[in-house]
Amino acid sequence: MRQRGTFLRHATLVGVSAIMLVPFYWVLKTAVTNENIYAYPPRLLPESPHLFNFVDVWYFIPFPRYLLNSLIVSALVVASNIVFNAMAGYALTKSFAGKRAILLLFLSCMLIPFQATIIPAYLITSKLGLLNSYLGLAFPLLSTIVCIFVFKAAFEAVPQSLVDAARIDGLSEWRVILRVLMPLSKAAIATNVVLAFIWSWNAFLWPLIITREPTMQTLPLGLARFLSYMEDTTGALYAFAVMVLAPSIFVFLMAQKEFIRGLTSGATKG
Amino acid sequence: MMPAAGDAPGGPAAERRDGWWQRKRTRELALVACFLLPSLVVFFLYRVLPLGWNLLLSVQYWSPLKPARWAGLDHYEEMLLYDDVFWQSLTNTLIFIGAAPFAIALALGIALLVNSDLKGAAVYRSIVFLSYPLMTVAVGIIWRWMYDERGGIINFALRESGLVAKPIPFLQSFEWALPSVIVAEVWQVLGFYMIIILTGLQSIPQHLYEAASIDGAPRWAQFWRITLPMLKPSLFLCAVVGILNSFTSFDLVYIMTNGGPGHATELLITYIYKSGFGQTKFDYAAALTVAQFILLLALTYLANRAAGGNAGSLERR
Repeated sequence: MRQRGTFLRHATLVGVSAIMLVPFYWVLKTAVTNENIYAYPPRLLPESPHLFNFVDVWYFIPFPRYLLNSLIVSALVVASNIVFNAMAGYALTKSFAGKRAILLLFLSCMLIPFQATIIPAYLITSKLGLLNSYLGLAFPLLSTIVCIFVFKAAFEAVPQSLVDAARIDGLSEWRVILRVLMPLSKAAIATNVVLAFIWSWNAFLWPLIITREPTMQTLPLGLARFLSYMEDTTGALYAFAVMVLAPSIFVFLMAQKEFIRGLTSGATKG
Repeated sequence: MMPAAGDAPGGPAAERRDGWWQRKRTRELALVACFLLPSLVVFFLYRVLPLGWNLLLSVQYWSPLKPARWAGLDHYEEMLLYDDVFWQSLTNTLIFIGAAPFAIALALGIALLVNSDLKGAAVYRSIVFLSYPLMTVAVGIIWRWMYDERGGIINFALRESGLVAKPIPFLQSFEWALPSVIVAEVWQVLGFYMIIILTGLQSIPQHLYEAASIDGAPRWAQFWRITLPMLKPSLFLCAVVGILNSFTSFDLVYIMTNGGPGHATELLITYIYKSGFGQTKFDYAAALTVAQFILLLALTYLANRAAGGNAGSLERR
């Protein structure tokens, strides 16, 4: 009876997993396919798979340029997220007048989806003179509320006695943060890196609005552009998709725990 | 001022030296202010200010290079009385959000299956969650290809199994386009719902189930009386994610159908983009944004009521 239950569970879950994985398989298969991708019936296994499509993507569209832009924006976002969020998270562990108001402000800001602000956000960025610039691309993501709370929780978990001991040893406030709190909050830093990277790497609507020149476009824009002039006619499109998906899948598999902790920390506790 | 538990150095020595304590306190406040400043600037420029500016724009006639003129509620009048596309995108957005409960129920089922001592549960969890962190533009391209009339695997499977005689042009047909986009969206977000629910499941105290078992409560009764009520905050959060997704699914719709055919898959957010950046009607797009924001607040409020009224309140933090 119990064994049959276990078997049924496995069977269901294998079925669910298979359905979830089909899109991955299909895009990978198409990316390495040689023959006409419109042949019917489509082959389930690629015939003589090859990597020419990937080479095409690298040389025949400005892929390296898109990649460079994406990497610069992601690096900016990741670095500033660690610094700004750690600072804000540390400030929130202190007690001060107006802390409740600030917390309330942060929590209500979480409810404003960025997409709901695009028109004024575009105008503001234009007034700042940051259209078509790396800083402009990164600006809305420079600090994220969820990650501030991740840092706050991590700092609060550091035993107070340790902080006091460091102060008695004469460490300044800065030193306490850099030498005691940050090294003990590695998990929070990892969460920040992973979330900030994924968010900036995948961002599409904002770059679509504020970049005017192809030389400033990031990978998602390059992919959309490629789609608009090639339609679905070539395996190279799917090779391109695989190339932009690979880094996020890699990051996710390496740091699954940190990623999930970050996403759910806003959900369960502050 | 109450000394905060733990972090105030307000020992007896500090009280004796009042001036030193005051200076220390001022320095600490300055530090707090400096540390909060960068984040506050970002949130002010890209959350708070846009919200107000948006409201202002929506009651003005405004376009780049022209001075603004007061418009009152003209844009809202046009939107509500004369704009069929607005009503269609509103309907589509509501259908989009209406699919969320089914996706959440599905995720709940999967979460219950993997939340056990089942061998390999972690692997199943990772597979289901794998689609969530992916770039939505690429996800849209993958699903376009899966739905393709000639080379797509979905039409292939349907034809091979004899379910349909002729291939269905999913994304080009008025009936199928919206459901097709919704399926792709659910595929991507399902794992996130599952993770939220799993976190909720793990916070239910085990002794509740033990007590229920001793009292002889059957499994289904335990599910209805313990699991579901205890999961309310998690389910509320899933609902909020589902509501917000109608905003964030811009990428998917833009890539898969760009709102077409006709306006069959137009969401409010894609319509806002088209009005604002396609036709440079920034003022009108601002009014549309206000409409969507009100929708978002109303639905979140209703979900909160359904979850018992205080989910996500400040006290829990």
